[in-house]
Amino acid sequence: MLAIDFGPNDVVVISGRLDAAQSAAAQAFLDQVQGKVTLDCSGLEYISSAGLGVLLKTQKRLMAADGKLRLSGVSRHLRDIFEYSGFDQIFEIEPAR
Amino acid sequence: MHARPRQRRHSARDLETILGVTSALAAPFDLITMLAEVVSAAKQVLNADRGSVWLYDSAADELVLEVATGIKPVRVPAGAGLVGACARARQIINVPDCYADPRFDPGVDKRSGYRTRCMLTLPLVDHKDVLVGVMQVLNKAGGGVFDDHDEALATALAAQCAVALQRVRMTEAVIEGEKMRQELEMARVVQMSTLPASMPALPGYDVYGTFKPADLTGGDTFDLAALDQGLLVVLGDATGHGIAPALSVTQMQAMLRMAFRLGADLETAFREVNNQLADTLASDRFITAFVGMLDAEAHLLHFHSGGQGPILHFQAALGSCARYKPTSFPLGAMHLSALRPMVTLPMRPGDILLVLSDGIYEYHDSGGDQFGEARVEEIVRSHHGASMERLSATLLDAVHAFAAGAPQEDDITVVLVKREPAPAGTHRSFERSFDSIEAIFAFTSEAFARQGIEPEFLPVVDLAVEELFTNMVKYSTMSSAAVRIDLARIDGGVEVTLTDYDVEPFDVTQAPDADIELPLEQRKPGGLGLHLIRRLVDSIEYEYSRESRQSRTTFRKTRAGRPDAGGGANKGEEHARD
Repeated sequence: MLAIDFGPNDVVVISGRLDAAQSAAAQAFLDQVQGKVTLDCSGLEYISSAGLGVLLKTQKRLMAADGKLRLSGVSRHLRDIFEYSGFDQIFEIEPAR
Repeated sequence: MHARPRQRRHSARDLETILGVTSALAAPFDLITMLAEVVSAAKQVLNADRGSVWLYDSAADELVLEVATGIKPVRVPAGAGLVGACARARQIINVPDCYADPRFDPGVDKRSGYRTRCMLTLPLVDHKDVLVGVMQVLNKAGGGVFDDHDEALATALAAQCAVALQRVRMTEAVIEGEKMRQELEMARVVQMSTLPASMPALPGYDVYGTFKPADLTGGDTFDLAALDQGLLVVLGDATGHGIAPALSVTQMQAMLRMAFRLGADLETAFREVNNQLADTLASDRFITAFVGMLDAEAHLLHFHSGGQGPILHFQAALGSCARYKPTSFPLGAMHLSALRPMVTLPMRPGDILLVLSDGIYEYHDSGGDQFGEARVEEIVRSHHGASMERLSATLLDAVHAFAAGAPQEDDITVVLVKREPAPAGTHRSFERSFDSIEAIFAFTSEAFARQGIEPEFLPVVDLAVEELFTNMVKYSTMSSAAVRIDLARIDGGVEVTLTDYDVEPFDVTQAPDADIELPLEQRKPGGLGLHLIRRLVDSIEYEYSRESRQSRTTFRKTRAGRPDAGGGANKGEEHARD
């Protein structure tokens, strides 16, 4: 399952699994955010291309308005996915500590 | 000195006497009886008052006079006195007046009160020219001295006596050896009797132990027993040769069983049995021992090992063996004050614990090369699917083939505990809808757990399954059939097949890669799924059957394929632009 909500300091916290079945919910939430946004991915266990699509769409919208989406707490497995898909060139990625 | 007696015809009476004596000597006497028989024959044939036979102890180079059973024999160095001189020269010595001969020791007479007058001393040499001893006869009856005729008779008799004595000595040596062999055999019977008569039946596990004793030495044992605490797994190997090791491992095995039956946990049993053995074993003896306890419900095997190693844990998911060292010194070597923590092995489906005595690892061929650990691991890797009885036989066959006739010098013991693998594969069908994704993930994670597949492959499998499944949902909209997913463990990894029914062909392997170099504005999410799959899995194949309108997409992910779950064989190429 997926959970997405605002955490402390306006960081958006996403946790669970961002798959094709959950992408609509994630998209609906991210459509509301504005400006420079940090997405805390430390609780994100899984992402598929559908989830990548959500992040891509959000990034495009924010950057068009001089904002951007930054990803923090990215696990090793997610980092591989971002690198294989070239998303590491689209997002500023801060690895999980 | 006295030259060899001239040959002279013996009278018929002489011959009769000698033949009678010869046949008496042929009877299978023990040594003491034979000595008495020889002395009696000599006295009779030579008409002497007294006689004695000294046996030659070649190891000590001494002559030994057996006085009577149970009394300490008299020993003189070869060369000393008349007896010694005769033994050295291997020649008959005829002394008509002992007190006139400097080699004669009158002390004997003084102690016994007997008066030795004349004496005939002759060597007993058997037909292989081996000095057996020296025969002496004293004081010819009627007051005369021993003449040439007596010397000739004595020489003929001596030859018979020598052969008879040698025969008895050798027989006794054989009997002594046989006695030791029988004692060893009895110790072996005791040792064998404590081995499990049958293998304990444990649901979900295949357990097997076997013991091949060496001919003479060795002190291995094993135990496999279902106890309240779990499955007891023991392999012990006592040092030393002969009977002692066989008995001390038997003792250890009994102590361990007793300790566990009294409710001891692994730590306590290991420590207490060690301390008890340290008190009772000879100070130069010890027993290397593996003591394990399997919790077959939690699938955890805990062990302590006193000097017994290597302990091999074949991990089915990896297709390779992990090796563990002992946790302590050999049992009985000294008291245990501090004990390192026990080792706990997770027994996943298909995993095997192998505890083998050094009789296998150190079995050497005639050139001195040892069988070694690498050969053991290789056999396990290629035969882990077999039953443990079969695997054990395969190991022993390989050892014998390796030895190529070189003898088994040490006991061989094999103890194998295998967690049965899950059925080869698992499959389920899923409704053609995004709503099935959660159920699919539940299925993959359950199939991984049940089949003992390395969990680190799960995210990759989930991603590939999701991408392929969502493609089917999105593009094969004409079909309403459920999609079947098969998931099976393979050597070192996992294989997954998605079968799509009643569909048009669409070869995912031929779909173009996403262009990930495009600037952000031009990038689209489409095509990324297959792009990712191709980079994350080892291989992907597509089959389509026109007759049944079925498509099958199969991918594999193994340890051999990629160094980690997704890390980067292709990274360099994709970052070339950086």
